[in-house]
Amino acid sequence: MRVLCARHPHLGLIAALRRYPELRGEPVIVGGAPELRLPVIAASEAAQAAGVRVGQPLRQAQQICPAAVFVALDPAGIARLRAAVCAELHRLSPTVEAGDEEAFGDLSGRHAEFPDEASWASALARGLRGVLDVEIAVGVAGSRFVARLAAGVSHPGRIRRIRAGDEALFLAPLPLDVLPVDPAVTARLAAFGLDCLGAVASLAPADLQRQFGPDGLRLHRLARGDDSAGIQPGPVRRSWSERLVLEGATGDLEILLRGARRCIAALGDRLTALGLAAAEVSVTFELEDAEAIATSAVPAAPPGNAAELWTAALGLLGQLRPRAPVTAVRVGVTGLAPASGRQADLLRPGDGAREAVAATAERLRVRFGAATVRRPRLAVDPGDLPERRFTWEAPLPVGSAP
Amino acid sequence: MPDSLSAALATLRSRYGPQALRRGGSAEESGTWSTTVPVLDDVLTPGGIPRGRITLLAPAGRGPSGRLTLLQSLLALASRSHDTAYVDLAGTLDPGFLADLGADLAACLVISPGPERWERGLVMARALVTSGMPWVGIALGWAQPRPALWEHALATIAEAVAKRGAICVIAAPAPVAAPLRHASSLTLVCASAGWQRANGDVSGLRVRLTTGKNKLGAPGAEAHLLLRYPRPYATAEMLGLPSVVVPRLQPSAAPEAWGLRGARPPHVAARG
Repeated sequence: MRVLCARHPHLGLIAALRRYPELRGEPVIVGGAPELRLPVIAASEAAQAAGVRVGQPLRQAQQICPAAVFVALDPAGIARLRAAVCAELHRLSPTVEAGDEEAFGDLSGRHAEFPDEASWASALARGLRGVLDVEIAVGVAGSRFVARLAAGVSHPGRIRRIRAGDEALFLAPLPLDVLPVDPAVTARLAAFGLDCLGAVASLAPADLQRQFGPDGLRLHRLARGDDSAGIQPGPVRRSWSERLVLEGATGDLEILLRGARRCIAALGDRLTALGLAAAEVSVTFELEDAEAIATSAVPAAPPGNAAELWTAALGLLGQLRPRAPVTAVRVGVTGLAPASGRQADLLRPGDGAREAVAATAERLRVRFGAATVRRPRLAVDPGDLPERRFTWEAPLPVGSAP
Repeated sequence: MPDSLSAALATLRSRYGPQALRRGGSAEESGTWSTTVPVLDDVLTPGGIPRGRITLLAPAGRGPSGRLTLLQSLLALASRSHDTAYVDLAGTLDPGFLADLGADLAACLVISPGPERWERGLVMARALVTSGMPWVGIALGWAQPRPALWEHALATIAEAVAKRGAICVIAAPAPVAAPLRHASSLTLVCASAGWQRANGDVSGLRVRLTTGKNKLGAPGAEAHLLLRYPRPYATAEMLGLPSVVVPRLQPSAAPEAWGLRGARPPHVAARG
């Protein structure tokens, strides 16, 4: 397994600075008013330079740094930022986890767009920097524990990569307090004369087990860089639906299709924004003076955007045959899970790079003009003139609405 | 193997390229894209159009040569299995014609940098290839830059094509610039062999193709193609029957001679 860990300022601080951009560079303390008996949750660089530490009481922080601005925690802003981080990581990584000050992504295996792990990690770091608008320190290693430590010794804007098999070598000189264990255990290890992780790793597992019980084995594994924690993706909502009430009951297929398309576009945008894919798609027609009819299907590939959702729903729309005028259309998606990237068409050469090509085409359009990169499309009603046989359209980026 | 035979093989390989001599029954080259047109795959370029190389369609002289129709026919063939890009520096592309050739327009990206914007066009082509576009066709116009300016642009696009293993076909008007001839690994010289007529109307163009340069095999192979023009405005029929590039049929010639060197139709030879 290969894990990427990106360390960034607390999301609460980033959200506060986005809300009050005039505070950039100023000492800012996140946690609430200093009168409250609450701890400091995050502090800006200027506040930390003045001596403010995370966890100390707000009142004490005010005494240390009287010029500091105190900002309340913004849970909604943090949730939005976390969702954006997850979506950005999901673009390039199948399994992700976003915390308040660090984010993890799975770099196991290979990515079709990148020749090696370093360029893959760079792309992820660039994406995160774009989302958070701050420099982040990145570490890549074979386990979550080592990746976190690698990010800790890395610098903002840099990537520290620990090659597979070099974890123990990297950990050996680090002090014992980096171990995620009870401080009493660390103190006891120090009492035995052990001052670094290399010393712990050199002991026999049986000796550590005799002293610390089952925790001894875990200590030994951690000291050698073996961490079974992995990446723990956060829970997501299980189902969404969009309902559109028609202005008048109708049986016109064209109107029903348009209604379904509007629902699908809204659902697809939400799926894309949060980097989710649906396991099941359902379409419901609410009928006038009759019971609603519905159908659902499990698509072969979980749809994660409007285009894929439309493809999946088209077949369902063909199955529904309303016996009475339809009053409302409802499209639902269930079994939402993080989208682990689009399944490339294995039989179509270059399909794995389609997103990169679409992004390049978009960049070229921005740089050289919209008329320079286009995709032709046959006109539905061509007429007699040759130039009316086709129309030009923008090259649709993957994931856009149909 | 005798030393003299080894020396002869080494001489032939150094003179005509490493692919000029192959053992019989060896596996098909994986570094090529099969056009599914037998005369192109078997005779002109063993295995098909090479990947990671620049293929040049050059005219034999002034006048119609069929190179742009051939390029668009190849693009139409490729679009059924690849994402493709067409850099239209000649300003002659008609997407309706592409559709008539059987192209999957959803897989065709058209780059129109503007008249005489050859440098911009090559930059855009290189950017697309670098990002992973597997098939790129470039139709050059009459306005061509100085050779010194060519070299850098061609070197960068050749590098990108080689790195990504992409297929790059360039159609250039006469006279072909020396840097372009140098950058290409395979040069197919196109010469018009006359119009194909049916019921008093032009139904296609007969093209004589010669491999003028081939870094992957022996040059000098010659073949005839019939580029059959699709019937205009027959969209539905063309979508269902997308077939344009076919070997020239010669009732009098032996089937095994189709497309082979020297298989020139008698009436074409008589017209000169």
